[in-house]
Amino acid sequence: MSTFQNTLSVASSGMEAQAMRLRYISENIANTDTPGYHRKTAPFEAEVTGGNVSGRVRLGDAALDPADLARVYDPGNPLAGADGYYDGSNVDVVVEIADAREAQRSYEANLKLFDQARQMSQSLLDLLRR
Amino acid sequence: MFDRPDILGMASAMAQNASVRLSAIARNVANADTPGYRAVDAPSFGEIYRSDGDFLLRTTRPGHLVSAAASGQTAAPRPGGHMSPNGNNVSLEGEMVAAADVRRDHDMALTIYKTSLGLLRASLGRR
Repeated sequence: MSTFQNTLSVASSGMEAQAMRLRYISENIANTDTPGYHRKTAPFEAEVTGGNVSGRVRLGDAALDPADLARVYDPGNPLAGADGYYDGSNVDVVVEIADAREAQRSYEANLKLFDQARQMSQSLLDLLRR
Repeated sequence: MFDRPDILGMASAMAQNASVRLSAIARNVANADTPGYRAVDAPSFGEIYRSDGDFLLRTTRPGHLVSAAASGQTAAPRPGGHMSPNGNNVSLEGEMVAAADVRRDHDMALTIYKTSLGLLRASLGRR
């Protein structure tokens, strides 16, 4: 029974990390047109409790993508320099959408395992019924 | 007669094995996007049964059954698998197939356990 609890906790940590990842993706997409915005990325890492790996996963600290900002030509913009260009964001919406789809797929896989562990422990308890 | 019947010990060991394997699968799926993570796997009940000569039915003392079943079931790195550029070799498809396999084993174990209990009850003359 404790193995099932461990399974449930690991699967829920996976769902939590994927949801957090989706949050960063939505922040990036919302800021596609913000001048000077660097897209946020966050690495997945194994959670360590008491010196040993628990099997749970968590999202590490967010880092900014150091890629060059897009140069946007718009002489009428107050931010534009003498040559008429200003720094846009380095968010590529297609990449973000692909990332979001991947996050969704992983989330569903975790959810499926959570559900299966729940059903298996339920059928174990059903043994007590006649 | 009132000793713990072998088949009950075997069925509960099989259910236990299924839950350990599900735990390893959940770990793999949760870490499907973790760079450098290697998939782990616990041996299936059939593999343990065949590899261990004095496992379950061949022990002389029925009291050893459960402890023998519980031991030797730890997750170990799974060899092979397609390595992605970030050093992770988890395949979600493979994990889903393994999860279905585990579900089937668990259902089978519980069904055997339930049926055996039914037989015992019938022999006691209750219904």
